[in-house]
Amino acid sequence: MSGNSQNPVLQVENISKTYATVRAVDDVSFDLYPGEIFGLLGPNGAGKTTSIRMILDIIKPDAGRIAVLGGPMTEEKKERIGYLPEERGLYEDMTLEAALTFMGQLKGLSRPDAQQRVEANLKEVELWEAHERKIEALSRGMRQKAQFVAATMHDPDLIIIDEPFSGLDPVNTRLIKELIYRMAERGAGIIMSTHQMHQVEEMCERILLINHGERVLYGPVDDIRRRFSSNVVEVGLRGDLTAVPGAQQITPQENGSYRLLLNDGVPPEEVLQTLVQNPDVVVQRFEQVETSLDEVFIRVVGRSVEEEGEDVQRGSDGR
Amino acid sequence: MKKLWLIATTTYRERIRSGMFLILTFGIPLLMIIAGAVGFFVASRDEGEVPTAIGYVDQTGEFTAVEQVTLDEEVIDLNATLPFTRYPTLEAAEAAYLDGEIDGYLLIPEGYATGEAVAYFSDEDPGTVVEEGLQMFMRRSLLAGEPEWVFARLDDLTTYTYVSQTTGEAIAEGPGLVIRLATPAFLAMVFVLAVLFGTSQMGAAIIREKDSRAMEMVVTSLRPLELVAGKVLGMTLLSLTQFGIWTVAGIVALTLAFANQIDLQGLVIPWGALLWGALLIIPGYFLYALLAAGLGIIAGDSQQAQQLAGIMSLLGLAPIYILGPILSEPDGPLAVGLTLFPLTSPSVTLVRTIFTDVPLWQLAAALALLLVTLAFVIWLVTRIFRAAMLNYGKALRPREIWQALSQA
Repeated sequence: MSGNSQNPVLQVENISKTYATVRAVDDVSFDLYPGEIFGLLGPNGAGKTTSIRMILDIIKPDAGRIAVLGGPMTEEKKERIGYLPEERGLYEDMTLEAALTFMGQLKGLSRPDAQQRVEANLKEVELWEAHERKIEALSRGMRQKAQFVAATMHDPDLIIIDEPFSGLDPVNTRLIKELIYRMAERGAGIIMSTHQMHQVEEMCERILLINHGERVLYGPVDDIRRRFSSNVVEVGLRGDLTAVPGAQQITPQENGSYRLLLNDGVPPEEVLQTLVQNPDVVVQRFEQVETSLDEVFIRVVGRSVEEEGEDVQRGSDGR
Repeated sequence: MKKLWLIATTTYRERIRSGMFLILTFGIPLLMIIAGAVGFFVASRDEGEVPTAIGYVDQTGEFTAVEQVTLDEEVIDLNATLPFTRYPTLEAAEAAYLDGEIDGYLLIPEGYATGEAVAYFSDEDPGTVVEEGLQMFMRRSLLAGEPEWVFARLDDLTTYTYVSQTTGEAIAEGPGLVIRLATPAFLAMVFVLAVLFGTSQMGAAIIREKDSRAMEMVVTSLRPLELVAGKVLGMTLLSLTQFGIWTVAGIVALTLAFANQIDLQGLVIPWGALLWGALLIIPGYFLYALLAAGLGIIAGDSQQAQQLAGIMSLLGLAPIYILGPILSEPDGPLAVGLTLFPLTSPSVTLVRTIFTDVPLWQLAAALALLLVTLAFVIWLVTRIFRAAMLNYGKALRPREIWQALSQA
């Protein structure tokens, strides 16, 4: 991230949107700076997609202000934005090359320039061999990479990517991740919406977590994790641990230890005392650990990310 | 505008390569050409041998029969003289036929004057030479003694000039008159077919757009109006290509079928009908295409879109099922009302021009109403589009449509 001294790529101020009686987004604000990878998080139905659609001028906010690339959205600015939506697709009966060239032209590229970029980008994501294949004949992973190319081939200044790694194997995940880093290095502001918290931890400097349309967490990832760390301890012991007073979640770890997520206001010392007094277990190790974003998410939202992921697979609308 | 054109050309390019388009576009003309060729072969069937002589029996006793007729090139493409021999009785004619003296014999029955048909006896297919020869024989025998110009005029009885009683305008002669009447009918038919084919294709194209799920990426790059108008334009160009191919094939088929019967160079094009046809058909087609696009946007799936478009295109067929009232009263209130109603004005106006001179004010009013309605529908469809474009796989409910319009 280039720092807050730069002009923001995007400024969202107190936006709200109501559908019939449902408050989809309620007074949400955040900024995005050039070169920043920003995590937009929240459970399904939290208001992420509605917020993104308002930023992109697909729908209008009922209240609030959005400044994109220094001011209100214009048709010219749309050509400087890249968007990989959650509901995505390309024209099934077009060839990969034709579909991407068309998308490039829609973003203001001339036909020869679009064709040139399509070739270069497809080679970069190792899809050039399939350029004459129809979209309908591509595998899920291939489509995902093609969509990514469609969203970014015009070198946009603002990029919004929703679940960029869905359907990708580890090799392709790394490939796309590298491309995202490269775009950030180039100075693009990137909003990444995903349920893969480890990717957010690894890639994002700041996050916004919204729930029921409201902003519940906003700031640097490290600060947020630190804020929640006093509530997570890792315990090495002999015996089985099924329930501990003061802990809301007990997760067995691969090394045989347990990670305990403590209830609000419960000091770790109190839990240690309880464990030591438990005759069924022998405590060998007890340490306070830095909490993961996954655990933060569970604490704030009240459901696991895995459940969210399953919802995504089922094709929830993501509002 | 650049992106509108991009959408139009891409839609056109992609659809024109589709298998269904190729089958529909080239399959129908192929059938038309085959039909034309069949007509051509029927028309140019074997002229048959030029007979040496034909007999006849006149039971009326009132014929002043000619002894021979001369078949010239205009009739059968050869010069031949065909002698006719009189026989007193059928038996005598039959005997001569069996002896090979004549190739066949004609019986002119006693009741010929009151409508009884003549009969030609032969075991061979008479062919066009004999048919023409028999006709000339009967004509010349019935009008024996008349000067040669009478027979010349009898050959082109339908050559006359049509003069409008109201305007005094002379339209054309003979085939030109046919064209004068046929052009609006042809244009009306083209319009009706375009509406039938075009609207269902348009609805399906919009549904395809929704199904592809590319909509959300596309609408972040252009205005909804550009996308809708681009789609409509692309599909219209596609329909024009289709109808262009069909028209050319139709002309080829007609030329093949009637090559010997119509003097194509003598035809006079009715530019007035063509101009008003174009002025009404083009916005009329766009109106239907936009409405079909709107229904495609509202519909949840392609089947629903095609059903809705089918119901709407029934309006385009109005001239077919209300042809009776229009024919009986082409300037009546129903005909005038449907001329002014935008969804029926192109077809009804064209049909009316066949039977009456539609007043200029009605043509101008129909065009003006059509253009105003078109502008309103463009506004309407783009508003609905905004609300519906992200409604993947779901039909838009009336309440949502109302919300979209009231928010605008």
